[in-house]
Amino acid sequence: MKRSKNINLTRMRKGKGTSFVLRPLALGITAALMGCSSEEEVKVVSSVEDCVSNTQLDEAQCESAYQRALAEAERTGPKYANLSQCEAEFGSCRDSGSGFWMPLMTGFMVASMLNDNDRRYRSSGYYNPVYRYSASGSRYYDRLMTADGQVIGRHGKTSYTVDKSAMDPKPKVTKTVSRGGFGAVASAKSNWGGGRSSSGRSRSWGG
Amino acid sequence: MLRLPIGERPRWKERAQEFGFHFHTLYGEPYWDESAYYQFTLEQIERDIEDPTEELHGMCLDVVAKVLENEALLRRFCIPEQHWDFVRNSWKNGDPSLYSRLDFAYSGQGPAKLYENNADTPTSLYETGFWQWLWLQDNVDRRALPLQSDQFNSLQEKLVNRFHDLQFLTPGRELHFACCKDTLEDRGTVQYLQDCASEAGITNHFVFIEDIGCDAQGAFTDLRDQVITWMFKLYPWEFMFREEFGSLLGGNNVRWLEPPWKAILSNKALLPMLWKLFPGHPNLLPSFFEDELDKASNYSELVKKPIFSREGANISVVRGSDVQSLSGGPYGEEGFIYQAMHPLPKFGKSYTLLGSWLVDDMAAGISIREDGNLVTQDMSRYLPHIIL
Repeated sequence: MKRSKNINLTRMRKGKGTSFVLRPLALGITAALMGCSSEEEVKVVSSVEDCVSNTQLDEAQCESAYQRALAEAERTGPKYANLSQCEAEFGSCRDSGSGFWMPLMTGFMVASMLNDNDRRYRSSGYYNPVYRYSASGSRYYDRLMTADGQVIGRHGKTSYTVDKSAMDPKPKVTKTVSRGGFGAVASAKSNWGGGRSSSGRSRSWGG
Repeated sequence: MLRLPIGERPRWKERAQEFGFHFHTLYGEPYWDESAYYQFTLEQIERDIEDPTEELHGMCLDVVAKVLENEALLRRFCIPEQHWDFVRNSWKNGDPSLYSRLDFAYSGQGPAKLYENNADTPTSLYETGFWQWLWLQDNVDRRALPLQSDQFNSLQEKLVNRFHDLQFLTPGRELHFACCKDTLEDRGTVQYLQDCASEAGITNHFVFIEDIGCDAQGAFTDLRDQVITWMFKLYPWEFMFREEFGSLLGGNNVRWLEPPWKAILSNKALLPMLWKLFPGHPNLLPSFFEDELDKASNYSELVKKPIFSREGANISVVRGSDVQSLSGGPYGEEGFIYQAMHPLPKFGKSYTLLGSWLVDDMAAGISIREDGNLVTQDMSRYLPHIIL
């Protein structure tokens, strides 16, 4: 057979009017595909002391975890051009020192169940910061979320059940200073009014 | 190789709607045409298309290696000097590629002749990998085609497998897809690739080319200010090199699909280089740079093609001192190459161009375009095929 053996038509079907619009992350689909248990119980701790008293990590490990979470918050945390926008969503914010505003980290996540190997690994492991969303009137009011907006649960619980992907490193977020630096050549060439497509615009920049 | 009429599937346009194929009709003209199909023998496919496709791809990679170590050749290929290292490094690092399409003139007899290599931004991917596959399935189901009908088309399967490999080769990065605004066809092609990437478990996002931003350190960003670290762009390298953000390329940590070294292949200067390295190869047409036309005196008719162009624009035929333009367009400022005339075969009223797809270095299927003119352009129609 020289053709694809099987194509899952259900997955190729597009709902009416939903095609070619921006779609949310494929995270849920990915987890389902992997077919493994995708949930994990975590604690959200707000300080080194909180970490020592409520998790299986010792003080040195907690201190290291805290520093890692802070660095991660610097790298991936939401960034705003002005203080009022940031405060409207997260309440308490700080000046990043590089021209924008970021919410204060509410805490960071530590897995509830750690075996000995985990504990050794976790001391040099990865810690995701979480933020408390506080825009009044929002359905996410008082929810804890990771930097990419994944909701962990309502603030103040002793532990949370999260999708394992919540523990993954988040993509870096930055402050965009300029847009529109690509596309000029296509735009110039599309003003050429020939071709046979009646709009005078090229149908495709591929070929 | 036969062109055979067939009844259209009843209500196929509803089926197109169901699967999100929104560009089957463009500017009031049919683009997808299922009133006929092409039939090949297995021998024609394997001997004349599949094997030469993989062989030619290997030859093209030889050209890349040769050009990248020679500054005079880099100039001939019109790669701007400030991007030489960017292109060279992507080759040295072995940056992986996703796909490409070789265009052939093939009549069913004799060797297929290479017209060009769409190695950077090939389109008509969805129509090939999925839609013509579904067309065959539907027609076999309704007994309009024999049960043993096959198709040279493992494109979707190979794309999904390739994305699996690419994720392994590009760990810890999310993939951004991009194309230009205002082109339904390009958006459709990119959506299809996103579907294939999602099937392979890759977290992916979309941003329009015109919306890409940069931060103070020169990192590229999407509209949510997320830093772009891995990007598929359905947008030509030769455009990006010459645009404002082009100066940031290579200075920021981005993996690209297609990789920068593809700029050497999607370039018509490839054709005279292939002829220099592999003179007389049965699948190549004699081709020449503008300053070597003295070597082309044996050929009474030459086709003049711009170094950079898309969709058959700015092609002319040269007979001695007589130049006849076959198509207009906005290309040609970087110069031209010349290829010995080898007209497309004519089936009925139409000229037929065969596209042969590769996923990485594996031949993966074919697509057929028909046009009333000798140069297939942006309004040429797409027809399905079978192997019987």
